[in-house]
Amino acid sequence: MTMEQQNPPAVLIDQVSKWYGQVIGVNDLSLAIDGGVTGVLGPNGAGKSTLFKLMMGRIRPSQGSVRLFGVDPWKNTSPFRRVGYVSESEKLYEWMTALDFVTTLARLHGMTREEATERSAHVLEFVGLTDVMHKELGKFSKGMRQRVKIAHALVHDPDLLILDEPLHGCDPLARTSIMSVIRELGEQGKTILISSHILEEIERITEQIVILHNGRLLAIGNLHAIRGLLDKHPHRILINCEDPRSMANLFVTEEPVFGVRFPREGQLEIQTNDLSAAHAVLPSIVVSSNQKITSIENPDDNLDSLLGYLIKEGN
Amino acid sequence: MGRKGKPLSETVWTRMDRKAGAVIELTIRQLRHRISTWVVLGVGVLLMALLLTFYIDSVRESFEPIDNDGDSEDNDGDGYPMGQERKYGTPDWNSDLYPGASVYIPESDIDWNDADRTEFGNKSWEGSAFFEASWVDDQYAGEWWDSYVDWNLNQEGIPELTDCSDWEMEDLYVEFWGDACDLGDGDGDGMTTYYVAGKWRGEGIATVPENYYLSWGHWTEEVYVEPEPPEMYINEDGIDCFDIFMRPDSRVDCPSEIRISGSHGFDDDGDCLAANEGNGDDDNGNGVRCDVQWIASNGVVTRIEADDLVDEDPDEQEYIGELGHRTFVIAVGKMAFVILLGLFIPLFLSLGLVRDETENGTLHLLLSKPIHRAEFIIYRLTGYLAISGSYVIGLSLVVGLISSILGPGDQIIRFSDIPVWIGIGVATTLVLAAYGSMFNAMGLISPKYGVYLCIVFGIWEFMMGSFSILNPNWTVASVSISHWALQMIDAVVLLAWPDTIQWAEMDRAFEIDSGLSVFWQPPVHTLGTASAGIALLNSLVVLLLVSVVWIFIAKSVFSRREIM
Repeated sequence: MTMEQQNPPAVLIDQVSKWYGQVIGVNDLSLAIDGGVTGVLGPNGAGKSTLFKLMMGRIRPSQGSVRLFGVDPWKNTSPFRRVGYVSESEKLYEWMTALDFVTTLARLHGMTREEATERSAHVLEFVGLTDVMHKELGKFSKGMRQRVKIAHALVHDPDLLILDEPLHGCDPLARTSIMSVIRELGEQGKTILISSHILEEIERITEQIVILHNGRLLAIGNLHAIRGLLDKHPHRILINCEDPRSMANLFVTEEPVFGVRFPREGQLEIQTNDLSAAHAVLPSIVVSSNQKITSIENPDDNLDSLLGYLIKEGN
Repeated sequence: MGRKGKPLSETVWTRMDRKAGAVIELTIRQLRHRISTWVVLGVGVLLMALLLTFYIDSVRESFEPIDNDGDSEDNDGDGYPMGQERKYGTPDWNSDLYPGASVYIPESDIDWNDADRTEFGNKSWEGSAFFEASWVDDQYAGEWWDSYVDWNLNQEGIPELTDCSDWEMEDLYVEFWGDACDLGDGDGDGMTTYYVAGKWRGEGIATVPENYYLSWGHWTEEVYVEPEPPEMYINEDGIDCFDIFMRPDSRVDCPSEIRISGSHGFDDDGDCLAANEGNGDDDNGNGVRCDVQWIASNGVVTRIEADDLVDEDPDEQEYIGELGHRTFVIAVGKMAFVILLGLFIPLFLSLGLVRDETENGTLHLLLSKPIHRAEFIIYRLTGYLAISGSYVIGLSLVVGLISSILGPGDQIIRFSDIPVWIGIGVATTLVLAAYGSMFNAMGLISPKYGVYLCIVFGIWEFMMGSFSILNPNWTVASVSISHWALQMIDAVVLLAWPDTIQWAEMDRAFEIDSGLSVFWQPPVHTLGTASAGIALLNSLVVLLLVSVVWIFIAKSVFSRREIM
C-alpha cells in the first residue's frame, strides 16, 4: 500500500467532464487540493457550482472520477462525515429557529440531541449569531442566512469545507465578518474551497486560487504571481473630480502614465503600464491638485480583465 | 465496548438510530407546518363525527318493526288482516270470505245421467229443475251475474211469474236461465210447479229433466269474529332455537349459546303449517315440515336454511341492534377508514415526501450529510407513517370507544369491539404504508405528472375496493391494495366476533335487512383452510410486500437522480 492510498488528498478530480445535454458544465478538469484555503474563481457559468455538486455527489460525472478522501461521493456518502458544504441555494427551513436548524442537521451526523444542541450553540457563537439563534430563519437577513449555512457546515468539525459563493448578496458588514470566519478556519488548518466571481473578495481571504472559465481550468496557483502579470498589462484609473483637465496636467508628467482621456464630463481616465507605481504617486497628486475628488475606480482590476488577459495570453 | 474498541453508545446502529430520529422528527415537523396536513386530517375527523352522529341518530330513533311476511295487511278490505284470515282459512283476496262469514256447504247433486232424478227438501239449489214448491226464499239474492232467481212475490207471498204451462219443453230450456216460470198445479195437490234455472232457495220437490244437472247444499249461519289488530301479525314469528336434545319445550331465542347443526325454528304463527299443507312446506328438504335447518361446523353456524313462512317475522328490535352495530363498525372500517382515509391521506401527505425537498431546494442540506438516499426515503416514510398511522389508530380507537358505548349489550363498553377497531386501525396504517410508498415513488418517477398518476391509481383502488366489498371472490380486485386491507378487516372481524357468520346468515335467511351481509363476507384468502388467522397473515404479508417493492422502486429512481 502506497502512502498516497493511505492518506488520499481531500479532493481529487481526475479528468472530469460533465455535460448537461449539449451544455458543458465542466470539461476535462483535473485538480488535487489538500490543505489551506483555495479560492475557486470564475464568472457565472464557469462551472464552479457544477464542480462543487460533483464533489458533493449531487450529480454524476459524465467522464473521469471524483474522489473525496479517496472515496467516490456519488456512490458512497461516508466522506461527508468529514465534509461541510454550503450550497449556493438560499432555501432553508424558514419555520425553524437557527439553533433548531443547525441542531437538526447536526443530528444527521449521528450526534445525540444534547450533543448536537451544544455544538450548534457553539458554532452559532463562532459565526456571531448567538443573539438571534432562537429566531425563525424566515426573519433572517441574507448575511445572517449565509452565516447559518456556514454554521451548519461547521457543526461536525469537518476537515474539508466547500463554500459555494458564501459572500453572495451579503452587505459589506456581513462580508467582512464571514471573511474573517473563513480566514480563522483556514488558520485552524482545514482544507477550504471557496468560490466567488469577485476577485477582490477572494484576495482578502487567500492567495491560493483556481480560475475556471467555460468549464475549463484556466489557471491555478498563487494570486500574487498572476496579479503581477496583470499589473504589467495596460490599466485604466478613473477619477471623478471637479476639473479633470487641470488634474490631467499633473499626471502626464509622471513616469508610469502613458496617456489620459476625458470619457465624460467631470471624469479623467489615466492609462498606465504599472498599476502599483501609478497608485504610489496618486495620493500626492491628489493632495497637490487641491480639488474635490468624488471617486477613484480601477475598472480593469477585476476578474473579467484578469480572464481577458489570461485568455489572450493563452492564445 | 464494541468490537473496535468504541463505546457501545457509538456503534453504527446507534448512529443510524440518531439519524433516523432526526429525519423522522424533521418530517413530522414539516408535515405539521403544512396547512394541507391539517385540512386532510381535519376532514377525516369531521367525516367520523358525521358518521357517529348518524349512528347516534339511528340508535336513539326506536326501530320501526317490520312486517317481514306482509301478513298484517288486509288486502281485500274485509277488516281482517291476512294472518287472521289464514288462521280461519279464508282468503285475503275475497271480501265475501272472512272469519265467521256464512259459507256454503255442498250436499249432493243429480248429474246429467243419474237414474234417480228427484230430490225433496228445504235447500239451497243450483241448476235446472221442475220445482214443486211449498216455500221459496225471496231474500236469497246476489249479483245479477250469479243467476239468482227473482221470484217476484206478491203481497200474499205468491210468486208472480210468466205462465209457461203451454210452452214446448225446448223453448223452456232455451229461454230460462237465472229465472223461473209458472207451470201451474198439474197434479192438483195445491202446490204450484215451477220450471227454475239458476240459484234459489226453497222447500219442495225438485225433478231434474234428462240431461240436466242440479246440485244442492246449505249455508252456515254467520258468526261474528272479532277482527284482530294488524300489529298482532308484525314480529309474530321469531327465530327459535332448541337445546342440544332438540326438545320442543327447550325453545329459546336465537342466537343461543348452543350452536349446533339440526332442525330448529318454530312456525309460531302457524302460517306455514296452515298455508302449505303437504305442498312446499319443506323447502330446505330436510324431511321436517315447517322448520329451519341450522348448519354448524366447529361450533360456528355457517348456514341457515329456513322453510318458507317459518321464523319469517322476527322482532327486529331484538336483532337489529347487534346486526346494525356490527354493520356500522364494518362499513365505517372499510369505507371511511380503508378506502377514504387510506387514499386521501397519502395523496396529500406522501406524494411530496422526497419530491418537495427537491423542488424547495432544501434536499442538498440533508444529502450533504452522511446519509444514503435509500435510508433517507425510509426515514421520510417512517415520519409520514408516524403522523398518519398514529392519527388513524387514534381516530379508530376514539370512534370505536364512542360506538362501543352507544352500541347494544349489557356492558357499558363492548370489549369485543376493541380488537376489531384495532384491526381497522392497523389495516388502514398498512394501507397508508403501501399507498404512501407508492405515491412517494410516483412523485419521484415523475415530479411533474406524478400527481395525475396517483389520481389514476386512486380511482382504480377506489373501484376495486368497492367491488371487493360487494364480491371479495372477484379475482381481478385482488390486484389492488385496498382489496387486501379489506380482507384483513374481514379476517379481524371473524377473529373478534366468531359468530358473525351466524349473524350474517340470520340477516339473510330471515330478511332482517341490516346490510351486514353486504358489507361483510368471510375472508377469501385462507389458502383453503377457512382460517381467519391465515387470511389475516396473508393480507399482512401482501401489504408489507407491496410497501417494500415500492420503496425499492423509489430508491432505484432516487439513487440515479441528479440533484441540481
